[in-house]
Amino acid sequence: MRLGRYELKLEKRLTVSGWEAASISILAILFALALFSIIFVLAGINPLLAYREILSYAFANPFGLPPTINRFIFLLLCSFAFIIPFRAGLWNIGMAGQFYVGALAAFGVLYAFGGKVSRSADLPAEIVIPLMLLGAAVGGGVLGGIAGFLRGKLNINEIVVTMMLNFIAYWLVALMIKEGGAFMNPGGRGESFELPASVHAPLVSNVPFTLLLALGFAIYLYFLFARTKIGYQIRAHGLSPAAAQYAGVSTVKISILVFVVGGALAGMAGYHYFAAVPGVYKIARNYGYFGDLAFYGIICGLISLANPLAAIPVALLFAGLTVGGRFVQGQLSIGFGVDYALLGVLMITLVAFQFFYRYRLVLAKGPELEETVDVGVFR
Amino acid sequence: MLLEQVRHGETVLEARGITKRFPGVVANDGIHFEIRAGEIHAILGENGAGKTTLMNILFGLYQPDEGEIWIGGQQVKFRSPLDAIDLGIGMVHQNRRLVSAHSALENIILGHPKAGKILDLKRAEAEIGELCERYGFSVDLKAKVWQLAEGEKQVVEILKALYRGAKILILDEPTSALAPPETKKLLSSIQAMTQDELAIVPFITHKLPIVLAVSDRVTVLRQGKVTARLQTEGATEQSLAKEMVGREVIFRLERVKAEKGQPILQVEDLSAASDKGYLALKGVSFSICEGEIFGIAGISGNGQHELAEVLAGLRKAEAGTVWLDGTDITRASALERWRRGMGYVPAERVDVGSIGDFSLVENVTMNYYFDEDYCRGGVVRYRGIRRLTKEIVSEYSVATTGPDSKAKTLSGGNLQKLILGRVLSRKPRLLIANLPTQGLDVGATEFVRNKLIEAKKQKAGILLLSEDLDEILSLSDWVAPIYEGELMGIIPGEEARRDIVGALMAGSVTGGAAR
Amino acid sequence: MWEFFARSLEASTIFTLAALGELINQRSGILNVGIEGVMLFGATLGFIAAQLSESYLLGFVVAIAIGGLLGLMHGFFSVTLGADQVVVGMGIWILGFGLTTYIGNPYTGPLGMDRIPTISGLSPFFYLGLVLVLVTWFVLSKTSLGLRIRSVGENPAVAEVSGISVARTRYLCVMVGGMLGGFGGAVYSLFYNPVWNYNFLMGWGFIALALVFFSTWNPWILLGGSLLFGTLWQLSLNPQLVLPGVMSRYLWRTVPFVTTIIVLLIMASKWFRIRWGAAKPEALGVPYLKE
Repeated sequence: MRLGRYELKLEKRLTVSGWEAASISILAILFALALFSIIFVLAGINPLLAYREILSYAFANPFGLPPTINRFIFLLLCSFAFIIPFRAGLWNIGMAGQFYVGALAAFGVLYAFGGKVSRSADLPAEIVIPLMLLGAAVGGGVLGGIAGFLRGKLNINEIVVTMMLNFIAYWLVALMIKEGGAFMNPGGRGESFELPASVHAPLVSNVPFTLLLALGFAIYLYFLFARTKIGYQIRAHGLSPAAAQYAGVSTVKISILVFVVGGALAGMAGYHYFAAVPGVYKIARNYGYFGDLAFYGIICGLISLANPLAAIPVALLFAGLTVGGRFVQGQLSIGFGVDYALLGVLMITLVAFQFFYRYRLVLAKGPELEETVDVGVFR
Repeated sequence: MLLEQVRHGETVLEARGITKRFPGVVANDGIHFEIRAGEIHAILGENGAGKTTLMNILFGLYQPDEGEIWIGGQQVKFRSPLDAIDLGIGMVHQNRRLVSAHSALENIILGHPKAGKILDLKRAEAEIGELCERYGFSVDLKAKVWQLAEGEKQVVEILKALYRGAKILILDEPTSALAPPETKKLLSSIQAMTQDELAIVPFITHKLPIVLAVSDRVTVLRQGKVTARLQTEGATEQSLAKEMVGREVIFRLERVKAEKGQPILQVEDLSAASDKGYLALKGVSFSICEGEIFGIAGISGNGQHELAEVLAGLRKAEAGTVWLDGTDITRASALERWRRGMGYVPAERVDVGSIGDFSLVENVTMNYYFDEDYCRGGVVRYRGIRRLTKEIVSEYSVATTGPDSKAKTLSGGNLQKLILGRVLSRKPRLLIANLPTQGLDVGATEFVRNKLIEAKKQKAGILLLSEDLDEILSLSDWVAPIYEGELMGIIPGEEARRDIVGALMAGSVTGGAAR
Repeated sequence: MWEFFARSLEASTIFTLAALGELINQRSGILNVGIEGVMLFGATLGFIAAQLSESYLLGFVVAIAIGGLLGLMHGFFSVTLGADQVVVGMGIWILGFGLTTYIGNPYTGPLGMDRIPTISGLSPFFYLGLVLVLVTWFVLSKTSLGLRIRSVGENPAVAEVSGISVARTRYLCVMVGGMLGGFGGAVYSLFYNPVWNYNFLMGWGFIALALVFFSTWNPWILLGGSLLFGTLWQLSLNPQLVLPGVMSRYLWRTVPFVTTIIVLLIMASKWFRIRWGAAKPEALGVPYLKE
C-alpha cells in the first residue's frame, strides 16, 4: 500500500523487542475493549459511560473494590497455573478442575478436623489453615500431575486430558456437596457446609493473606525463569523439546513438575475463593461459574506473554472488568453473561494480534537495528 | 508444450545472463549456458557457488533479477514451479520432495492433470511400469515411500518428472546418497534416457569421477559466475577441481597417528528401534580408545542415526550394553552421560543442537547449566557462561553480532562452530560427531575437521558418523561401514580402501570384510 | 431398552458429525482444538434461528453456515497468517464458550417445536451420519481430491510443487470441517436435547477431538468410536435404565470423561503408538507458509 511518499508494507520479523511485545499486548486489549463496546451499543448504552461505570465500580467503589481484589488473587493464581506449563511448551487448560479439586481438598482437611459439625466449632487455626492451604495445593497438584505424567511419560495430548479432568472434577464437587454428599450443607441448598469462624483466613487490612501469597509467587516465578537451573530447563523445553532432551533435560520430569506446580497454584485459588474470601466461606452452589472464570487465566497468561510480573496488571484489569461487568449488567440491564462475552472477545482478538508478533507494519524503508529481548512465546 | 518434438543436439534450454542478488551477495552473476537434447550436461560448483540459486531459478522458485530463459527457441517466464513443469522441466531434488506416507504410485500421480477425479491407479501403474521397463528402473510402486531406500526414492522422483512429460531433467547431486552399485544403475538409466533425446542436467559438488564418466559437457560455476565451459573429453579430475576452487587442491588432511590408549567406549551387541518401530540397529559391537577416531561410514538411513542417539542417551537401547570408562551406562540418562564426559554433536544442528530463540549465551548454557562451576544452589551463573561464550566465539571465529544475539541469526557453518566449540569446551572423554560437516562450505568443513583432529590429540575418543567417505577415510583410525543396522567390518584406517569400504556400505559382504 | 438404544445412536451421531469434520481438518494438516466452540455456536445460533423462524431447516442452515464461517476464520488465522493452530483453536473454543453464553441466555428454555420425526424409530441424522462417513472415506481414499487433501496434510511443500494449492485445499477442509461441527451442534440443540441452557455442551467437542486421535484418521474406526462414546454418554445420563442403583448419578456423569482418558492410555501402548505414528498426518499443526 502506498501512502504519499511512503510505502506501508508488512515485514517479517525474526525477533520482537520487549517493548514491542508489550505494546502489541496493550493494543490487543484496547482493541478487544473497543470491539466489545458493540455489545453496549446494541443495548443502547454509551460504551464510554459503560466502561466508566465498570471501572469506577471495580476500583473506586467500597463495595466493588474488595471483590475485585479477591477476583484478582484468583485470576493471578489461575494465570500462573497456565503460565508455568506454557513456558515448558505445554497447555494447561485444566485450571478449572484443579481449582475445584483444590477447594474439595481444603474442605476435606476441614472435614477431617471436624469442621462440618458446627459453624462455631473452635478449631486450632494455626494448624488447620496451613493444612487446608497445603491440602488445596496437593489436590490441585495431583490433578495437574496426572496430565503432566500422561503427557511426559506417554505423550498423551495434555489439552484433551486436562479438559476431561475439568469435567471429572466438576462432577466430583457435585458428588461431594449435593444430594447427600459428605460435604453437603445441612440446609440442603446444594452447597457445602460452612467454614467455622475460627478458621476464617487471616485478613491483612481486610484482604485475605492469599494476596501476599499470589504476589510472592509472581516475584518468585519471575526469578525462577530468569535465573535458575529449573527455569532454564523449563524454558529450553518450551522452545524445543528435542534440543532440551539433547541437553539432558528430562521431558518426563519437566512435564510433571510444571503441571504439578501449576495445578497446585490453581488448587490454592480454590482455597482462596471458598475459604479465604470474606462472606463466602463455603463451596458455593454456582462453583461452576468460578471454574469458568478460571479460563481467564489462559488469556491472562497469553497476553502477559507468560511473564509472571506482567500478569499482575493484566489480572488486575480483568478482575476489575469481570466484577464491574457483572455489576453494570444489573445496573444498565444488559443481558446476562457480559463477563463471558468479554472472555470470548478478548481471546479472539488476542489470536488475531498474534500476527503482529511475526510481522510488523512498516512505513518507508531503511535498515533498523535494535536491541532485542527474548519473548519467544509465540513461535 | 514447446518441446513436443526435439531433434538430437538441438538447443532445448538456454540461460542468458541470469543474475540474482540477495542482500549482501550476488548469488548468480550473468550466468549463460545452453542445454541440448540428448546430452548430459553437468553443472559443477562448490557449496556457495550459486548452484542452488540457479536451480531454483530454472525451476521457477525464484525469479531472476536480470537475464532470460529460453526454451525450445522461445523466451519464457516462470512464475512458479508449475510453469517450469508445464514447459517440460523436471526437477529431482536432493532433499526428496516426496510424501513419505504415500505409496510411490500416489506420489507419481499426485497433482497430475491426468489423474482424473476418481483415481484410476491400475491405468497409472501400467503406464509407469512401462517407463520403468524402458529405462531399467526397478521400484515397488505400491510400497510406501518411507519404506524405500534412498536410491529408490530418487527413482520415484525421476519417474514423477518423466510421467509429467519432462524433456529436461535436472538432477540435484544425483549420486550423493547412493552406494556405488546404485550409482551404476542410475548412470545406465540416465544414458538410456538420452537415447530418447532427453537432456539431463546433473548439478554436482563432489564426486568428480562420475562427472567424467558420464557427462558430455560441463559448465563450472565459482562465486556465482561461469568460470569454464568444456567438453568432458579431455578434462581431468584435477583440471575440473581447479576450475571449481580456483586454485590447486590437495585432497589431504594431516593424519595423526594414534597412541594406543585406554579404551573409553565399549559397545556390545547394541540394538535399537527406529521411530517407526522396526529394529534399525542390530547387535553392533565395537570399542574406542583414547585418541582414536572411529569412523562409521554409511548412507543415511542405515542405523547410524539411531546408533548416535542411543549412545547419547536419547533413544532406548533394545538390547546390548554400553560402557563408558568401564562403567555400564546403558540405562544412564542423557544428563548423566554429559556429566561422565560424553559430548554429542548432533546431525540436526538447528532442531536439536541449538535453540534458535535462545541467545548464544543461553545456547552455550545447554551444556553447562548442570555444571557445578556454572550453577550454584540452583542458580545459573550467566555471567560466567557469557565469558565462556565470548571465548568460544573468538576461538572458533563464529561470525555474530554478539553473545546476546539469537542463535537463529547464525548461518549453518557458524552455528556448527558454536555447537562444536561448546561441546569441545567441556573437554569430553568421548565425542560423538554425527555428520559434523554436512552442508558446510569448504572453509568451515576444514575448520571442523581440524578441530576433531585437535581433540584427538588431546586424547579424546571420537565416534565420527559420516556419509562422506572421503571424510571418513582421511580422518579415521578405524573405519566401520554400516549397512542396514549392522557393522560390515572394522578396518584399520591405513588399510581401508575406498572401493572395499564403498562396497561394504552397499551391503556387499563379499567385498572382503576384515576385522 | 429400545429407547436407550435409539437415544445412544442419536448421541453417537453428534460425535460422528463433529469428529468427522475434525478428521477432514486434520487430514489436511490443520488442527482445530476448538471444535467445542464451533459446536456451541452451531447449537446456539441454530437454536435461536429455528425458534425465531419456527423452521428447523433454517436452524440447520444457520448452524452449518456459522460452522463454515468459524472454519474459515480458523483457516484465515492458521493458513493465511500461519498462526499457532493450538492458540487459534483455543481462541475459537473460548470465543464460542463466552459469546454463546451471552447470546443464548435470553433464549434459555425449551425449543417449543414439534420434534423431528424418526425413521423406523431411529434418528434421521443417524442415517445421514452413516452416509457422510461413507462419502468421507470414499473421497479421502479413492479420489484425486482425497489424494490432494492427504498430501497437503502430509507434506505441503511437496504438494505445492506438484501443482496443488495448499491454501485452497486447506481452506476447503477447514470450511467443511467447521460446517460439520456446526451441524453436529445443531443436531444436539434441535433434536437430541432441544433445550437451551448455559454451557450445555459439556465436553462433546473435546471428546470428539480425542475420537479423531483414536480413529487413526480412519472414518470407519471413528464411526465405531462414536458409537461407543454415544452409548457411554447416554448411559452416564440414564444409568438407571441399564444398571439401576450402581454408583451415584454424579459419578456416572464422569464416566465418558474417564473413559476418554483410559482410551488415550490404551492408545499410548507401543502397539498402538507405531500405527498411530504411521497414520498421523505429518504436517498436522505445522503452519505452512509459501516462500
